[in-house]
Amino acid sequence: MAAADPPHVTRLAAEVFGALVTLSLAVAIALGARVDGIGWTSGGPEAGAFPFYVGVIVAAASLGNLVAAFRRRDRAAVFLDAVKTRRIAAFGIPLLLFVGASVLLGFYVATILYLGGVMRVQGRYRWITSIAVAVGTAAFFYVVLEVWFKVPLLKGPLESLLHLH
Amino acid sequence: MENLGLLLHGFGVVLTTQHLLLMVAGVLLGILVGVLPGLGAPNGVSLLLPLTFSMNPVAAIILLTSMYWGALFGGSTTSILFNIPGEPSSVATTFDGYPMAKQGRAAQALTLAFLSAAIGALLGVVVITLLSSWVAQFALRFGSPEYFAVYFLAFASFIGLGGASPGKTIVSLGLGLAFATVGMDTISGSLRLTYGFSDLVGGISFLVAVIGLFGIGELLVTMEEGLKFDGLRANISPRAIVEAARMLPRYWIALLRSGAIGCWMGITPDGPTAASFMSYGIAERFSSRRRGFGKGEPEGIIAPETADHAAGTSAMLPMLALGVPGSATSAVLLGGLMIWGLNPGPTLFTERPDFVWGLIASMYLGNLVAVILVLSTVPVFAAILRIPFAIIGPIIVVVCFIGAYTVANSTFDLWLAVGFGAAGYLFKKIEYPIAPLVLAMVLGDKAEDAFRQSMIMSRGSISIFWANGLVATLCALALLLLSWPLIGAATRTFVRARQPADALED
Repeated sequence: MAAADPPHVTRLAAEVFGALVTLSLAVAIALGARVDGIGWTSGGPEAGAFPFYVGVIVAAASLGNLVAAFRRRDRAAVFLDAVKTRRIAAFGIPLLLFVGASVLLGFYVATILYLGGVMRVQGRYRWITSIAVAVGTAAFFYVVLEVWFKVPLLKGPLESLLHLH
Repeated sequence: MENLGLLLHGFGVVLTTQHLLLMVAGVLLGILVGVLPGLGAPNGVSLLLPLTFSMNPVAAIILLTSMYWGALFGGSTTSILFNIPGEPSSVATTFDGYPMAKQGRAAQALTLAFLSAAIGALLGVVVITLLSSWVAQFALRFGSPEYFAVYFLAFASFIGLGGASPGKTIVSLGLGLAFATVGMDTISGSLRLTYGFSDLVGGISFLVAVIGLFGIGELLVTMEEGLKFDGLRANISPRAIVEAARMLPRYWIALLRSGAIGCWMGITPDGPTAASFMSYGIAERFSSRRRGFGKGEPEGIIAPETADHAAGTSAMLPMLALGVPGSATSAVLLGGLMIWGLNPGPTLFTERPDFVWGLIASMYLGNLVAVILVLSTVPVFAAILRIPFAIIGPIIVVVCFIGAYTVANSTFDLWLAVGFGAAGYLFKKIEYPIAPLVLAMVLGDKAEDAFRQSMIMSRGSISIFWANGLVATLCALALLLLSWPLIGAATRTFVRARQPADALED
């Protein structure tokens, strides 16, 4: 039966992954805290004491969660299959590209590219509609943030070219 | 009756045109984030918070709390019309709200939800008005050990009563506490847990964490499910409102019971989500109309809505009086108070009575404004949900990252939000509770300071945590809550072990 199943990630794998991530974070926290000293000085506990013991407790709880993962009744349940993975990727990859573009090109250009791109490619809108909505949205954010609230957003090469600082 | 005078003074503070306009703006923005998937009360407030850094605290808190009320109302709209809870706390409203709307009674369902929500909120504010200064007075006697015990009690009640796996709750709380220690240590002045990265020197902002965990994480979960809005239409006429208002008195028992559940769960840090579920569960068990539950029974809307809003409102009580928030959103608000330079806790009542009573007065007005606005704008917000997701999805993403960036104008925070988003997705799907992490991030510094100061007072002996009756009671309660899952498991095993034996005796 297992052989006939389409490829998927089980709940057990996800639980184990989660527990290992929190375990490694906890170890990193405890090790990082040891640098600051975890003992006692005349001025009270050293700076690292509190995070160190928090790290130890989280590590212990992560180990507990790891064991509990194998005892779940639904451990063989499907956590992620091909359809869901494709949906996550269709949303997540443009999102990552948007963040990368924001850092390089500034928020406004990245917003236009991201919104316009998603509308055109995934929403199958006409070019003209996609560009109009994307530019309109960016202009709206510009007016609300930079003009009304005087909150400057990340700008890129285009804005310095247009002297929009 | 001293409180009444203070409350009237508070109304005097609040009743200005600017404050009322902020209230309307806050409520409308709140309904918007409540309606949109992926944006909820906690991260809506987080997104708006950076814009209030330069406002005066009274105006800022009015804007943000109004947004909170609006979000609580907005969440119910989508639950009833679209069968999609806009907020986790309005999940229970879908059980009977959507079936009732499908029977063509959408307007009644919505009005019933909003009116009972308003009654719940009113009960919550009355509780705050009556109790908050008394609690604050009591808390003035607290020293560092008592404060640590209160924080410990808050954390323990998440672990013991939160409903999620205790191990997962501990991980969530612990990670929050650890994230709070990153950066400059206020006591020793040394840099902690920065691992040599200059980006971490300023610490990890809880706002970025909330935006990632609740915003991006929630969106990922929603997208994975393959979003499909298939909404019912509703136009709310004055006649429907009158009809629903006429129905309400019949359900006075449900209203009072749900209000009491909500107030209790809001003050203890269980929050609105747990309150609405519990209230629905209890109504389903004890109602004389329990057969209709799940098929569009009005009481199945009234019970979770009243409790949801009573809890959401009364969660402000411990936040104001003790500095310990009762929900994720009030944790964010507490963080906001600290950013505006206020010191949440009992001293706030004596130092800034105008702020405290202005806030309490604004809760009465804000909820009134929210009911009126939400009733009159249902068609508008339902139309927003009909905008295709290829447009609204990226816009929500852009708003989230703008919010993350404006916290500290740092590009590093953008990647941090991505990381928290991925964590939020995983946590949500494998049932790690997220609210404790946020609460711990906000309270981490204060809890640690209280612990270290207690240790200095006692020269390193933990016996200070049972040195007097008050602190000993708090600690004993916390330990009882911590061991609650163990006690529960033990009694279950015991009962199971006993049953076959009993059967043999028979």
